Amino acid sequence: MTMLSRVAERLFWMARYLERAEDTARLVHAYTHMVMDIPKGSEPGWDILVKILNAEPHYQAHYRVYNEQNVMKFLLADEGNISGILSAIRAARENVRTTRDVLPGEVWEHVNELYLYAQEYAEKSVGRRNRYHFLETVIARCQMVNGMVASTLQRGHAYRFIKLGQLLERADMTTRVIDVGAAALLGNERLHSTVDPLIWTSLCNSLSAMGAYRREFGPQVEASAMVDFVLREGALPRSVKFCLDGIRKELTPLKNNRDALKLVIKARRKLSLFDPQVSSREELHVFIDRFQLILTQLYTSIDHTWFMTDERQASGTLKASATR
Amino acid sequence: MNKSWSKYRADKFYDELIASSGRPRVAAKRVVNLLQTLSEDEMASRRAAAELAIREMGVSFTIYSEGKNIDRAWPFDIIPRVIPARDWARVSLGLAQRSRALNCFIDDIYNTQKILAAGIVPADVVLDSRNFKPQCVGMSPRFGAWAHICGTDLVRDQRGKFYVLEDNLRVPSGVSYMLENREITKRVLPELLENYSIQPVDDYPSRLHSMLASLSPRPVRRPCIAVLTPGIYNAAYFEHAFLAQRMGAELVEGSDLFVDDDDCVYMRTVDGPIRVDVVYRRIDDDFLDPEAFREDSALGVPGIMRAWKAGHVAIANAPGAGVADDKVVYAFVPDMIRYYLQEKPLLASVKTYLCMKKKDRDFVLANLDKLVVKPANESGGYGLMIGSHASAAKRGEFARLIEQNPRNYIAQPILALSTAPTYIDDSVEPRHLDLRPFILHGKETWVTPGGLTRVALAKGSLVVNSSQGGGSKDTWIVEGKR
Repeated sequence: MTMLSRVAERLFWMARYLERAEDTARLVHAYTHMVMDIPKGSEPGWDILVKILNAEPHYQAHYRVYNEQNVMKFLLADEGNISGILSAIRAARENVRTTRDVLPGEVWEHVNELYLYAQEYAEKSVGRRNRYHFLETVIARCQMVNGMVASTLQRGHAYRFIKLGQLLERADMTTRVIDVGAAALLGNERLHSTVDPLIWTSLCNSLSAMGAYRREFGPQVEASAMVDFVLREGALPRSVKFCLDGIRKELTPLKNNRDALKLVIKARRKLSLFDPQVSSREELHVFIDRFQLILTQLYTSIDHTWFMTDERQASGTLKASATR
Repeated sequence: MNKSWSKYRADKFYDELIASSGRPRVAAKRVVNLLQTLSEDEMASRRAAAELAIREMGVSFTIYSEGKNIDRAWPFDIIPRVIPARDWARVSLGLAQRSRALNCFIDDIYNTQKILAAGIVPADVVLDSRNFKPQCVGMSPRFGAWAHICGTDLVRDQRGKFYVLEDNLRVPSGVSYMLENREITKRVLPELLENYSIQPVDDYPSRLHSMLASLSPRPVRRPCIAVLTPGIYNAAYFEHAFLAQRMGAELVEGSDLFVDDDDCVYMRTVDGPIRVDVVYRRIDDDFLDPEAFREDSALGVPGIMRAWKAGHVAIANAPGAGVADDKVVYAFVPDMIRYYLQEKPLLASVKTYLCMKKKDRDFVLANLDKLVVKPANESGGYGLMIGSHASAAKRGEFARLIEQNPRNYIAQPILALSTAPTYIDDSVEPRHLDLRPFILHGKETWVTPGGLTRVALAKGSLVVNSSQGGGSKDTWIVEGKR
């Protein structure tokens, strides 16, 4: 099966954007849920969400205050915000629109429907009343597309580059979710006993990992055990370890994969050497920052090896800059 | 029961479904009877279902307006057009005949030019045309086939007789909409199809694929076929992607291809360069190769003409095929049929006045209000004037244009185009339509059963182009009694 470099690039970004939309929806969903549980006065601010997604410059150019209304509008409905749900879905759709010939027909139909849905409801779902329903629908529809790809797409280059985009984005987002926890609790040490479990539970929920955690460790929520779990549990589909393993698997059959594989090995080593059980929140935050840098290098390597072919300018692929 | 059917009058035009008595034609009887039983609400809900299907399937076309590209949902009328198979058989033969003659003509023009020597077609008409490409002289593509894919526009007059309006031999589009229209009808009016035996249209992509594969310069079992598109902003991009997918071919843009020192065409892939055997190009000649045609074209592939001339790649339609896609040349097609095939033309052409001839020009200038004036080289319904609908100032403007450049204009009588019941707002009204069948020409010639029916949605309008507010209908060729 042949795969044009341009098409591979667009598939990769389609998958990244779909994953970004889903993961952002999961994050906002969990965060909203958590905020309602925490006693008034000690809840963490909404600015954390914007910071976690590295979107402050754009936010500050368009909004003054970090309140719930503004941050939700920014993350759900702002077409100018490339980290937002609506624009991620739009970008995913643009990339499918130009690659639909290599995808099962239903993939285009469903991504298109998702876009039409988001376009109509994102703005109306900024308030708490409709927010859950919107986020749940976005998550469900993204998963439907993933399911279609998983159950109907031939295991060839198209599938491979979709998986690479999806897993790279997911690894990135999972580290960001952990960072939310670390950041929310930094400088808030005195509230640990009451707030800690609430925050970690909701973040773990956003990764659909709570059930698995309970089966493994029992109902007591213990921060460092949980961080360890979502970072390094290779059997958990949204863990960073799982994503790296998957990336390595998809890279293996590709030609000229040496540089990219080296970076995956580097990332895996970093991950195995970091022990959340003995690290402070500050150290966790620093680790995540460094780890995200390796993920960025990995993207750059993929881009140089398979997408950027000489003489050709990146034509029409809708993508964000490598660092967000 | 829907009241608007009982008020339906086709006036003085030939109506495809309803005879002048007001009763349905035999072939259309069951369609009309069934639609009549649907209430206004039911009709509206079927239309809504069709619109939803179109949006979900993403069937769209792009128009360029006010400096922006807009992606429009494909306009579709849910009432199908029904043509008896026996009527169609003859039209189909006529189309195949025409395609054979046109291909003989193009091959002749780029080689011996005997039709010009024989004085059947005036040499200057052909050789001075901007569609004549000197770069193609001396080429003889396999099977003598140049116009591999042709979209011929047909209309019917007030007696229902079919006429050829024009042959589109450059990059004709619309075939994907023909396929999608059938798909939509199956989704929203499944009961209509129950009692009919309708000739299927959905084998078009596989027919196209075999024809393209037969052109491959390398004798390989699965030649590499690429559909070359100008990109997402082209009006017909939807179709390019659709056909590539249905054929299992690669959809490429100019920047995906390059010609190497060995004069072969390659595409850039994640596994490195892969040689391409056949390019189904949806880019006009002028933009195909900046080395051979327009230097400023960023859409094309530098060197692809070199590769084609070296016989290392097949291009469909062949570069230069547009020489026969000219409204002046059109007037000579019946002569070509007699000359190359020694056959009688099976399909009628519309009487055409060539403004380059003094006698014709005088007649045209004296009768501007009764004629349609068309530029010889435009498509998409642009730049034409329908005399009876035009203002005096507009007619004056065209008179000047004709005087200035008579070669570039032709005129034809205003045809009383046939109509068909079309669902407008909440009633059924007659609207004018045409038909674009597609003809594939390689070793053999094959014609689609039916084609794309385009409808002028504005009352009384004769302009069916989707870029100018036209709609479309599913077209059925049905077996059985007429």
